[in-house]
Amino acid sequence: MSGSFSSLNNALGALRYNRVVMDVASSNIANATTTGYTRRRVEGESVGAPAQPAMWSRYNNTGEGVRASALERMVDPFLDARSRTEHGSLSYLQTRKAVLERFEAGVGEPGDNGVSAALAEFKAGWHDLANNPGTEAARSQVLGRAATLVEAIRIQSRNVEDEAAAQRTHLETVVSEVDTLAADLAETNRSIAVGSFNGTDVNALMDQRDQLAMRLAQLTGATTQQRADGGLDVALNGVSLVDGASANRLTASVAASGEVSFAVVEPDGSAVAVGPLRGEAGALADVLAVTLPGYSAGLDEIARQLADDLNAQHQQGYDQLGQPGGPLFSYDPGRPAASLAVVVTDVSGLAAGGVPGATLDGSNATALAGATGVGDAYQRLVNGLGSEVASVRRLTANQAALTAQVDGSREQISGVSLDEEMVSLLSAQRAYEAASRVMSTVDSMLDTLINRTGLVGR
Amino acid sequence: MTFTRVTQNMMSQRSLQGLHVSLDRLAKLQEQLSTGRVLNRPSDSPTDTTAAMRVRASLAETKQFARNAADGQGWLTQIDSTLQSMVSQTRRARDLALQGVNAGSASTTSREALALEVEQLRDSLISLANTRYLDRPVFGGVTTGTSAYDSDGQYVGVPGQVDRAIAEGVKVRVDVDAATAFGPQGANLFDDLESLSGALRSGDTAGVRAGLDALATGMDRLTSALADVGSRANRIDRAVQRTVDDELALRTSLSEIENVDLPKALVDLHLQEMAYQAALGATARVMQPSLMDFLR
Repeated sequence: MSGSFSSLNNALGALRYNRVVMDVASSNIANATTTGYTRRRVEGESVGAPAQPAMWSRYNNTGEGVRASALERMVDPFLDARSRTEHGSLSYLQTRKAVLERFEAGVGEPGDNGVSAALAEFKAGWHDLANNPGTEAARSQVLGRAATLVEAIRIQSRNVEDEAAAQRTHLETVVSEVDTLAADLAETNRSIAVGSFNGTDVNALMDQRDQLAMRLAQLTGATTQQRADGGLDVALNGVSLVDGASANRLTASVAASGEVSFAVVEPDGSAVAVGPLRGEAGALADVLAVTLPGYSAGLDEIARQLADDLNAQHQQGYDQLGQPGGPLFSYDPGRPAASLAVVVTDVSGLAAGGVPGATLDGSNATALAGATGVGDAYQRLVNGLGSEVASVRRLTANQAALTAQVDGSREQISGVSLDEEMVSLLSAQRAYEAASRVMSTVDSMLDTLINRTGLVGR
Repeated sequence: MTFTRVTQNMMSQRSLQGLHVSLDRLAKLQEQLSTGRVLNRPSDSPTDTTAAMRVRASLAETKQFARNAADGQGWLTQIDSTLQSMVSQTRRARDLALQGVNAGSASTTSREALALEVEQLRDSLISLANTRYLDRPVFGGVTTGTSAYDSDGQYVGVPGQVDRAIAEGVKVRVDVDAATAFGPQGANLFDDLESLSGALRSGDTAGVRAGLDALATGMDRLTSALADVGSRANRIDRAVQRTVDDELALRTSLSEIENVDLPKALVDLHLQEMAYQAALGATARVMQPSLMDFLR
C-alpha cells in the first residue's frame, strides 16, 4: 500500500513538471526571432514501478506522478547538413553574381560610350581624313579619336585589374574569417564535450555550433560530421579543418596568373593542399582564376589585333611630308591592352596617302578605315560576358528558391510557433491548477481523517 | 499525429521574400521606363546586345558613307558646271576660228581682234581649269598646290585619283583626269588655242584650219568627260538615296532591339504595382492575428 502522503508527492511532481514546461515555453517565446535558435521541448515521463526493486520486495504503489526526463532540441541533423550544402552553393553563386554584375556595369555596352562606339568613331575619322587629306582638323580628329579608342580599351583593362585586386583583398578577409570561425568552433566543440559529460544543458552551445558551421559552409562550402561527444568536425573538400577541439588554419595564395591554391596548415606547420572550394572563397577563386583572366586575355587579343592590323596598313601609306608611314600604335606584348598607346604624335605623321610623295591622296586613309575586323572579336567578348552574367543570375535565382525551400523545411521543425507555445502554456497552466486542486483535495482528506475521525460520542 | 507545422517566422520570411521578388520586378520595369531602354547591360539579353552592337557599327558606317557621298556630290557638281562653261567657251573659240578661215584675207586689225579674243578665251579656260573645291584644284589630281595649270597652260598638278568610299568596298572617282579632259601635255586645249591665236594673227589659213580640227578633238574630249562625270554623279546620287534608306531601316531595327515598348511596359508596371499592393495587403493581414487575440 502506498503511504498517505504519496498523493501529495505526485501533485508536487506535477507542479514542478508544469513549471518546467512553462519555463521552456516562455524561453521559446522569448527567442522566437533569435537567429539560429532552435525550439526546445520538454520530454515528460510518468514515474512508475522500478523494473526490479529487489529479490523479494514488491512495489505496491499505483504511480509516482511525472518528471521531466529531457529537454529536447528540435533538429533534424540531415536537414541541417542539407541546408549547409545549399547555403554553400547559394553563397558561391551570389558572390559570383555580385562581382560579375559590378564588372559588367563598367563595360558600358551597348551604348554611345563604349569601346564599340569609340571604334566606329575612329573608323569614321579615317574616312573624313580620306575626304580632306590636307586639312589639319581632319588629321587631329583622327589622332584624338585614336586616343579615345586606346583610352576606352585601357579603362576596361584597368577595370579588370582593379576588380582582381579588390577580390584578392576580399579573399584574404574570407580566409581570415574562416580561421577565426574554425578556432571558435573548436572551442565550442570542447565546451559541448565537457558540458554533456557533466550533464549541463548544452543546447545553447549547440545552437552556436550550428551557426558557426553554417557560416563556414557559406564561406567555403565545408562539409560537417557529427561527433559522438556532440561536437562537429568540419572538412574542406575532404581535408580536415576542425577536428573536435583542435582547429587548423586555411591559407590561400594567388599566383600572378590569377590561379588560387588553398591549403590547410596544421598546428605543427605541415600544410595539406585542398582542392577547389565552394562558397564565397570558391567563387572568388573562380573569378580570380577564370573569369577575370579570360576577359583580360580577350581584351589583350583585341588590342594586339587592332594595333597589328592598323600598323600594317599604316606602314603601307605615306604621311603628309611624303615619307613612308611608321607604326600607329605601340604595345607591350606581355600586356597589350594595358599598354596600348598611340605612337604618332604629330598630325603630319598620319599616313593617309597611298602614293609616294607629298600629295593629297587619301586612299590609304580609306584602307585604314576598313583595316581591322576587331569589332567582331569585341562583340564576341561582350556577348560571352553577358551570357555568363545572365546564366549566373538565373542559377542564383534557382538556388535561392531551393535554399528557401530547405530553410522552410528546417524552420518547420526548429522554428518557434507562437500559437503552439500559447497552447502549451495554457495546458501547463491548467495542469498546474489541477495539480494544486489535487493537493488541496488530499489536504482536506487528511483534515477529515485527522480532525474529524474518532469523535464518536464526544 | 502528423501535421505541417507553420511558424510565424516561416510566414514572415515567405511574405518578405514575396515582397522582395515583387519589388525587384517593379524596380526592373521602373529602370526600363526611366531609361527608355530594354537593354541596359549585356546580360539583359546577350544575343540582343550583340545585335545592337552590330547595328550600331553599321549605322556609324552608313552615316559616314553618306558623308563621303555628299562630299563626292560636291566635287562632281563643281566639275560638271566647270566643264559646261568650258564647253561653251571652246565652242565660242571654234566660231572665232571659223570666222578666221572665212576671213582669211581680212584686214590685219580684224584678224588681230580675233586673235585677241581667242587669247582671252584661253586665259579664261585656264582659270576655269584651275577651279577649286574646298581649296583643292579639281583637275589637279592629288597635288598639294593650289592650281592645276600655270598661266602658260602647262600642267602643274600631280596625276592621281580622288576617290570617295560610298559603300563597303565601293569607291567612286570624284575628280577628272586633266589629260583625259583637256588633252595630253604639250598638245592640250590651251596649246591648241595658243597656236590658233598665232595662226589667226599671222593670217596662216592652213594653221587656222589645223586649229579648227584640234578644237573639234578638244570639244569631243570635254563632252565625253562631261558624260563621264554625269554618269558618276548619278551613281553617287543613287548611293546617297540608298544610305538614307539604310539609315532609316537600321535606326528602326536598333530601336526595336534596344528601346522599350512603352505601352507594354506601362501595362506591366501597372500590373506589378497592383501585385505589389496586393502582396503588401496580404502580408499586413497575415501578420496580425494570433492565438493571443482570442485568449483572455
